[in-house]
Amino acid sequence: MTSTIDAAVPAGGSPPAPPRADDGRSSGRRRRPLGQALTPYLLLAPAVVALLALVGWPAVLVVLTSFRKMDLGELVRGELVWTGFDNYTTVLGDAEFWKITLRTVAFTAACVVATLLGGLVIALLLRQLGRVVRTVLQVCMVLAWAMPVLAATTVFQWVFDQRYGILNKTLVLVGLDSFEGHNWFATGPSTLTVIGILVCWQAIPFVAFSLYAGLLGIPRELYEAAGMDGANAWQTFRSVTWPTLRPIVLMMTFLQLLWDFKVFAQVWAFRQGGPNGESTTLPVLQYLKGIAGSHFGVAAAVSVLMVLVLLVLTVQYLRMLVRSQEVDL
Amino acid sequence: MREARAVTARRVALSAVGLVVAGLFAFPVYWMVSSAFKPTNQMQSTGYDLVPTSLTGEHFASAVGKAGFGDALRNSLTVTLVAVLFSLVAGLLAAVPLARLRFRGRKGFLLLVLVAQMAPFEALLIPMYLMMRDANLLDQMPGLVLVYFAATLPFTAWTLRGFVQGIPAELEEAAMVDGCGRWGAFRRVTLPLLGPGLVATSVFGFITAWNEFLFALVLFQDQSKRTLPVWLSTFQTAFGTDWGGTMAASTLFTLPVVVFFLIVQRNMVAGVTAGAVKG
Repeated sequence: MTSTIDAAVPAGGSPPAPPRADDGRSSGRRRRPLGQALTPYLLLAPAVVALLALVGWPAVLVVLTSFRKMDLGELVRGELVWTGFDNYTTVLGDAEFWKITLRTVAFTAACVVATLLGGLVIALLLRQLGRVVRTVLQVCMVLAWAMPVLAATTVFQWVFDQRYGILNKTLVLVGLDSFEGHNWFATGPSTLTVIGILVCWQAIPFVAFSLYAGLLGIPRELYEAAGMDGANAWQTFRSVTWPTLRPIVLMMTFLQLLWDFKVFAQVWAFRQGGPNGESTTLPVLQYLKGIAGSHFGVAAAVSVLMVLVLLVLTVQYLRMLVRSQEVDL
Repeated sequence: MREARAVTARRVALSAVGLVVAGLFAFPVYWMVSSAFKPTNQMQSTGYDLVPTSLTGEHFASAVGKAGFGDALRNSLTVTLVAVLFSLVAGLLAAVPLARLRFRGRKGFLLLVLVAQMAPFEALLIPMYLMMRDANLLDQMPGLVLVYFAATLPFTAWTLRGFVQGIPAELEEAAMVDGCGRWGAFRRVTLPLLGPGLVATSVFGFITAWNEFLFALVLFQDQSKRTLPVWLSTFQTAFGTDWGGTMAASTLFTLPVVVFFLIVQRNMVAGVTAGAVKG
């Protein structure tokens, strides 16, 4: 414990790791024993094998399956029936598919816009609040954020319940008598609106916290300078606040797009895509075609089409991450 | 004077807005808990009562006693904990070389982790189902464990790498100078310092797996194999219109997550932005 560097290095016959500066690298020679050279690969092996087998291979398999006819019969018999682009022509030729795609895009867009706006307003609000109120608001948001999706879905069903739900009762109390016994799940748009509110309620805290963290990084002097220059609130926001927030807002937008496009649990748990399939989104369609309907090839084609959309978004997001040096490779 | 009063008025107004917003976020949580303690005759009445006038624990008893709750709780705990343990081990093994060692292909491995993290797992539902079916793992715990392991691993490896990087390599080098081997230096110096990182990472993994719904729904068709989220989603058949029991079950389901969440909340924002927790 007390031995100094000077004493230890010459005495030790065992090879202590050389200080990084005079590592073999700098002199251009590599004389690491083979075992040591293999160490990083051995350590990485379990993770790499797992990722290739459980993410990489399924990713290949989903593409392969999408070019096969694979219904229950083929599955049970273990047949390989290649059908080329048949599944895609089936899916893309179905008017219902385009309706569902459009619905999914609209749902995603509405959720993302509402989440970002809500998060931004709350982040700005957080900065203006005193310590006590700010803490209260933060704790309440953490609660909403932390709530498991399925528990939140159940509570929302109870709040929006037709007969005894607190929402209808409250609306009647404030004089909107037409809401007595109002069924919020009678139509697709209404059902999706409730689901959207739930999604935003759980997503806004994360966005608000991220943007608030960004706001805290803006030096106070900048605001003082803007004040001295006679800038009004909007001008200050545009020239001081927004430049800092912009990259965070962009990143949040991508993350929310990726997440909201894939929402399944909430949609399924509310009305299983109903009534009459009116709240069915693409992930639900994938489930209905594949798992419920046993048309695995068609479902895989739906998955691939979903992935294509997500891929465009993901590549953009990754490029942004790498460029912003949030991620140093 | 007038200016000071205007500032105060603004302050009060903003605080009021802040409290209203806080109320909106807290209300569903409050409503879940208060409904869980409310007697049934008060729940199914047309009366308006935001605050329960009397409390009861009967809903918790009925939720816990409901068919399948014990099984679901046990299944959820088993699958979640085993998957998190696996991904913690594999993730730590991968994090150390990615943070500390220089070797050919390091960037490639990092990119692999990042891509796996961003992969839309939900879109792999069909091949996963087919793979598990071929491997006879449908309705088997190991099947879901593997899925959750793969789902939490990239994030775990990525975050732990960050934590390892945060520990100065000089500490390990000093230990080696003092006569520790590489492994000894890691075990005695780095590992203890990684404690908080390991806790935070495993909590994230726990929350992800604990909440997961789609794969649990698809891979476990057998009723006795359901996890808590799936069990909860079928309450309409299990409970009829027993909202009290449903809310009690939801409360029990939420409790561990909220507790864990509060522990690691500080690390959350940074972690998620770095390409992390799945939504």
